[in-house]
Amino acid sequence: MFWYLVKRLLASAPTLIAVLTVVFVIVRIIPGDPALTVLGDQATPAALAALRTKLGIDKPLHLQYVDFMLSALQGDLGRSLVSGRPVINEVTAVLPHTLDLTISSLLLGSAIGIPLGIWAALRRNRLADYVIRIVSLIGLSFPVFVSGIFLLLVFALQYRIFPVIGTSDLANLGDRAWKLVLPTLTLGLVMVAYITRVTRSAMLQVLSEDYVRTARAKGVPARLVITRHALRNALIPVVTVVGLYLGINIGNSVLTEIVFNRPGLGKVIVTALNQRDYAMLQGLMVIYCFLIVVTNLLTDLTYGLIDPRVKQS
Amino acid sequence: MTTPATQRASTDQSVLDRPVLAIDDLTIEFRVRGQWHAAVRDLSLSVGRNETLALVGESGCGKSITALSVMGLVPKPQGRVAKGRIDVDGQDIVRLDEARLEKIRGNRVAMIFQEPMTSLNPVLTIGFQVAEALRVHRGLDAAAADAEALRVLEEVKIPSAARRFHDHPHQFSGGMRQRVMIAMAIACKPALLLADEPTTALDVTIQAQVLGLLDDLKTAYGMAMLFITHNLGVVATIADRVAVMYAGEVVEIASVHAIFARPAHPYTEGLFRAIPRIDRSEQTLSAIAGQVPSIDRMPGGCRFAARCPLREPACDASSPRLEEIAPGHAVRCHVRGPARRVGMGAGGGVGG
Amino acid sequence: MSRGFLGRLIDVFGANKTSWVGLVLFAAICVVALLAPWIAGSDPLEQSIIDKLQPPSATHWFGTDEFGRDVYARLVWGARISLIVSISAITIALVVGGTIGLVSGYIGGRFDMLVMQAMDVLLSFPALILGLIIVALLGPSLHNLVIAISLTALAPFARIARAPTLIVKERQFVEAGRALGYSHARIVFVHVLPNILAEILVMASLWMATAVRVEASLSFIGLGVRPPTPTWGGMIRDGFENILDAPWLSIYPGLAILTLIFSLNMLGDGLRDATDPKLRGE
Repeated sequence: MFWYLVKRLLASAPTLIAVLTVVFVIVRIIPGDPALTVLGDQATPAALAALRTKLGIDKPLHLQYVDFMLSALQGDLGRSLVSGRPVINEVTAVLPHTLDLTISSLLLGSAIGIPLGIWAALRRNRLADYVIRIVSLIGLSFPVFVSGIFLLLVFALQYRIFPVIGTSDLANLGDRAWKLVLPTLTLGLVMVAYITRVTRSAMLQVLSEDYVRTARAKGVPARLVITRHALRNALIPVVTVVGLYLGINIGNSVLTEIVFNRPGLGKVIVTALNQRDYAMLQGLMVIYCFLIVVTNLLTDLTYGLIDPRVKQS
Repeated sequence: MTTPATQRASTDQSVLDRPVLAIDDLTIEFRVRGQWHAAVRDLSLSVGRNETLALVGESGCGKSITALSVMGLVPKPQGRVAKGRIDVDGQDIVRLDEARLEKIRGNRVAMIFQEPMTSLNPVLTIGFQVAEALRVHRGLDAAAADAEALRVLEEVKIPSAARRFHDHPHQFSGGMRQRVMIAMAIACKPALLLADEPTTALDVTIQAQVLGLLDDLKTAYGMAMLFITHNLGVVATIADRVAVMYAGEVVEIASVHAIFARPAHPYTEGLFRAIPRIDRSEQTLSAIAGQVPSIDRMPGGCRFAARCPLREPACDASSPRLEEIAPGHAVRCHVRGPARRVGMGAGGGVGG
Repeated sequence: MSRGFLGRLIDVFGANKTSWVGLVLFAAICVVALLAPWIAGSDPLEQSIIDKLQPPSATHWFGTDEFGRDVYARLVWGARISLIVSISAITIALVVGGTIGLVSGYIGGRFDMLVMQAMDVLLSFPALILGLIIVALLGPSLHNLVIAISLTALAPFARIARAPTLIVKERQFVEAGRALGYSHARIVFVHVLPNILAEILVMASLWMATAVRVEASLSFIGLGVRPPTPTWGGMIRDGFENILDAPWLSIYPGLAILTLIFSLNMLGDGLRDATDPKLRGE
């Protein structure tokens, strides 16, 4: 298992390097002089030159690239041009909020989506299946800022059950959980819809497998055939696809954070873009890549727990 | 007036005489584009204790679905048993509900499937998969079920079974997986074993070993075995009687000796010609030209007529009935049936 | 192969009801957008401070916004932006991405490997984030939105066009075509394209749904087509600021976006069910 993980980690290295390169290129071609952004129009040419030297952007591009890759691999993400604080500090300050939201919506999505997906698969082409498929398609069609606003309107403004603003005190667990409810529902709706659909098709695939027929031929009761024989196998593709989706879903986290005015990685990204804080942006992209790699590793770990074939290979 | 004692004695005797499996006038239908079509039509056969009946035919002839129907596993909702009885131990499977069927499957009737590579659950250990049947049917606890499962795995000759008990299917070869499948099937000592091409996916030496194992187990347990195959070579080594199926019907049924010595139906003869022969230098695998008609395009008369070398006008006019041409030897053919037996030689034998 | 484009299209649609519902819904929205000058009733840009923040009524079906502009008129005109951006972006992605995939698959070898790796990297960025970066980089405008969104959808079309190209190029009729002296381009466009039409349709409708979502999201963040041009995402952004007093400002454009994305998802999903042989039948 350990070597399997190491192998997976090494396998993701080329992609990681490619993505870092793309980040480097994108950030370099953003129009505007970073030094000018920081010091403003009134800065003297000498001051600008001094800052350029300090930032390392007066060097030839290929040297900048080497510098960037080396420091990125060492975990040095530089400092924000606007606040002057290290990127890593800015990120760690908001990371718990983002993780709270991601993990809780994933849990919600699995808790509802997996049973719904199984149910739809077992009732294939009957009424329940059609209803679940249409409803999940509606769930997938909701842009999160629309569903977020609708939830706000109903539960925070009309009935005043939950708070409007999602900014919470991390130390106060009750407050943290309370303010997480609506954002989780918003992001969780998408996850529920997605996981339901993935589970349904995985179950349909597995239910037609020979070993499910074998289990039935053994006289295993229908309920156990589904949970013990079918579901565990169906979860293998579900875990893979959902793991990938977690990365894709960051766009939805950004919008959820904006609607509920929650701190988080998404808002930091948008702020950095608006302020043309290229150092910050570059650091954020590196962290994003890192998070994707971590997510993939966690996915592989979960995968290994379910599928015995993984451990030996 | 019979006394209770004599009554019991006679019942015991009838139980012993009664076939383990008796299929009577069975028709299984599938829905194709909204219409029900028979995949198996008016099928009757029986298998007794300690007897192996081979069900022979090309794929698409309804052999597998016949076996599945004995398990109560005709796929729903696209398939159904339209009429007939399937008596196992004198109990009609067709009329049982799902809960009662679950008590019989894997217990009184067990089945081995063709594909050992995909028929075992990849995420469960082989020990668990064998023990599971014992837990379900015998109500054994985990330890007792494991102990018994290990004994069965040893009985099917899995090398160092104790050490490999907790291994997963992907760690076994095809032949070993098929042994595990057999262990699963016989764990509850079934009265009837259905084997659906259990050796087709295996290479020839392994094939012989598995066949030998199945034959030994049948004798040891006194099981009735319904053995499905398209390979007449396999039939010779394992079967007592043979039923040849074509397009959902039995076209010839006889003892293995009679089938090999005097095959009567032209389809049976065709199957014999299709056996790959080692003693001939050239690879003349002369299969029968044409294909089994699909279930929604069955011809009106004899279903084999389109491919038959003996085809006559009568063959297209009406379907022949299955009729005895010798004791225990019946054939469904206008040309080779009892009406025209006079003057017929012993068909095309196996010799030559 | 013997049937033309149109025949195949009809086959594909005929097989699935969901795709029909999606198609009709989508067509209805297209008609609304086309007829905007005639059915909008009033000028979407006309301000009227006296009429500001009016709730829905007989004169203003969906109410008015903070400048007194008619929400219904803005909604009808806003459909045009959503459709123009998504249709042009997906058309570009389809043509450019599809060509990349076809050419790459047809040439094969190391070139193919390199191109596909580049596509993988592109695909590893979530559509919205990629769109955010590109628009921030180029500046918010209609053109830049289209470019950004078409870039996010490039990779899937390259993949979809490549896989069948690899298979088809080995097949008999391509060999036969070569023997008859047809050019490579002709082989690809006459023989390969019809074979992947269904898949392309599925992808196009599903990615168009994504395109609508990304356009609306960028407008919501404030990186869409500049005001005062009405866009659905922008209307929600404005409405969000007045959510306490005038919830209708966000509700109607929200429902409009939902309906458009849902119709495209239905269309794509239905088409996929109809064309995927594994999912067909009972």
